[in-house]
Amino acid sequence: MQHTSILLLFLALAGAAILIFIYVFRTSKNANSDEGGMTNALRKRFWFILILFIVLGIFASVTIPKSPYFLFADEQPSRVVHIAAAQYYFLMSNEAIDPKNPGAGDTIEINTGELVEFRVTSLDVNHGFAIYGPNNDIVAQTQAMPGYVNRLRWKFTTPGTYNILCLEYCGNGHQLMKSTFTVK
Amino acid sequence: METSKFNKITALWIVVVLVLFIASIVLGIIMRLNQSEVISLYPTTFYTDMTVHGLTMIGIWFVAGMAAINYIMERYVKTSFYANLTALILTVFGVVLLWVSAFVGDFHAGWTFLHPLPLKLMWEKWATPMFLTSMAILGIGWLIWSLSLTASLLKKYSFSQVFAWQHLTKDPKTETPPFVLISMVTLVGIITCLIVAVVLIVLLFAEYFSRGTFVNDALLMKNLTYFFGHTIANEMLYLGLAIIYELFSEISGKPKWKTTWYVALAWNFTMVFILTAFFHHLYMDFVQPEGFQIIGQLASYFASLPAAGVTVFSIIIAVYKTKIKWSLANILFFVGVAGWVVGGLGAVIDATISNNFILHNTLWVPAHFHTYNAMGNVLFSLGFFYWFSKQFSGEEIKYKFSKLTIILLILGGAGFLAAFYFGGADSIPRRYSTYPVEFTTAKTLALIGATFASVYLIAILIFFANISKRCLNVIFSRS
Ligand code: HEM
Ligand SMILES: [Cu+2]
Repeated sequence: MQHTSILLLFLALAGAAILIFIYVFRTSKNANSDEGGMTNALRKRFWFILILFIVLGIFASVTIPKSPYFLFADEQPSRVVHIAAAQYYFLMSNEAIDPKNPGAGDTIEINTGELVEFRVTSLDVNHGFAIYGPNNDIVAQTQAMPGYVNRLRWKFTTPGTYNILCLEYCGNGHQLMKSTFTVK
Repeated sequence: METSKFNKITALWIVVVLVLFIASIVLGIIMRLNQSEVISLYPTTFYTDMTVHGLTMIGIWFVAGMAAINYIMERYVKTSFYANLTALILTVFGVVLLWVSAFVGDFHAGWTFLHPLPLKLMWEKWATPMFLTSMAILGIGWLIWSLSLTASLLKKYSFSQVFAWQHLTKDPKTETPPFVLISMVTLVGIITCLIVAVVLIVLLFAEYFSRGTFVNDALLMKNLTYFFGHTIANEMLYLGLAIIYELFSEISGKPKWKTTWYVALAWNFTMVFILTAFFHHLYMDFVQPEGFQIIGQLASYFASLPAAGVTVFSIIIAVYKTKIKWSLANILFFVGVAGWVVGGLGAVIDATISNNFILHNTLWVPAHFHTYNAMGNVLFSLGFFYWFSKQFSGEEIKYKFSKLTIILLILGGAGFLAAFYFGGADSIPRRYSTYPVEFTTAKTLALIGATFASVYLIAILIFFANISKRCLNVIFSRS
């Protein structure tokens, strides 16, 4: 959903910008030497900047509260999944992972509607932790950084198989890093 | 004598940049062909190719902008030929070391060489120190050049004049030309990010030689990396804008653009905003303080205001219903500004944290930054190259050729970029040598990208054929 609206928004804005440039170019091609360009340019510039400022301001105030840092911030997660990324695999576990002795990990199953917190770290270089839904769109992501734990909270609504891919370049096996979990 | 030295070195820069550009486009097409599985490279080969492509492209369009503003700056102040020459020698030397470390030593940490990847030694042992040395050489060469240009400006203009602060008062006594103001604002950003780059390289070297006793903090290194990487990529675009402020009116046969209070204000704002926008590269690092994340989104948004309101609006006013002399140079500027706007729209969408949550490190990222590079900044520099070479022969290139060049550039560029945007909206990751089978559209999009990029390459080859002879004549002329 969000993917499509982003693409459409971009295509509409880019299309409008390109049309304006084409139009302006053609007015120049068709101009006679005595015609006088734009009138009241300073006023128009002022309005243009003001409107842009307001539009961006509204956009910022609507979108910032939707940032992932604030998602489900005032709820208690009923489930914690620990993730350790490494060249070139993901380790997933129900228990905390000891970096010195990471162990073999668990098969993960999650219930729809429960609040999960993924605690994501890395055992070597920077990696990404991106969750791809059953129709192969990104649902949510965070980074896996050595020495830090990123906490990503999410509630799944659609059951199915979810893939995890690495979205931070980590070496020549980057494109092979993959894991899965199921949502019931 | 003095001018002829600057003519020669500028012509040399142009030839070096265009030759490396053509080579790097070929590397880009090879990447897209591999992603479409028309050819099949080892992953390591793909990633060395990617690392070289990214760094060479950033490097050449940075120096192209620098060479152009140095050439134009000679109109206002006396600059140092030797600083320019030093930068040229160190750039060539640095690029050679970079290519050897990657193509011979297999170094492939990506153009951002994000810590701790370069220290992982997944390649020849000597490749890491050689790579870091190549970065240090480039950084130092460019730092010398930028500092020297800054010193030249400050010899003539006082500190407040060079930032055009007197234009914020009621009736300014002296005028700071827009070109001087923008060059100075840009040089401040460039010097800042090059100093950060030097710190970054020192820290990487320190960890490399400490043999495990000293380990850098990953979050700090990531902040430094993007402070440098994001800022340099942005500032090089502003070098291109300085060229436009100086040359667009001149080539169009119109009076020179003047610095007004709002031009002065806009560029002073830009200087500040641009230094915090890099935070948008760390949106998905949830351990980064939330305040920085929000500053990142606001700075990214509001950095676009002065740019759009002043520069884009000015060029539209200059063209709207105004009869001007169109030549290949100012058409390239005009199309470049349009490309810059389109790329900026893609960037603002991605700089929104809640969108970045699903776009981060997908093909949306190369989509937008290739838009304002390949269809923006590159065209600004090509416009300058053309204007420069034309001074020495007086003739426009044949109408037929310039029209063909523009059409192929736009067609090739648009198709190449569309494949990236659609891929990004489809959640296809960036920096994948080949794609997992689940991405059903990925291979087709890659092939479309490769095909249109080849059209773009043809346009560049036509352009190169037309101006390289003139540049070589300048380089090898006596006097
Ligand atoms: C038509 C010409 C070009 C082609 C065909 C091309 C192609 C590519 C491709 C296929 C990638 C890898 C995308 C991926 O992540 O999967 C890439 C990355 C990149 N390109 Fe280009 N590109 C072109 C022009 C440029 C220009 C003009 C610049 C100027 C700055 C540039 C800078 C970069 C950078 C910085 C990267 C990222 C490298 C990395 O991820 O380490 N490219 N390009
Ligand atoms: Cu990885």
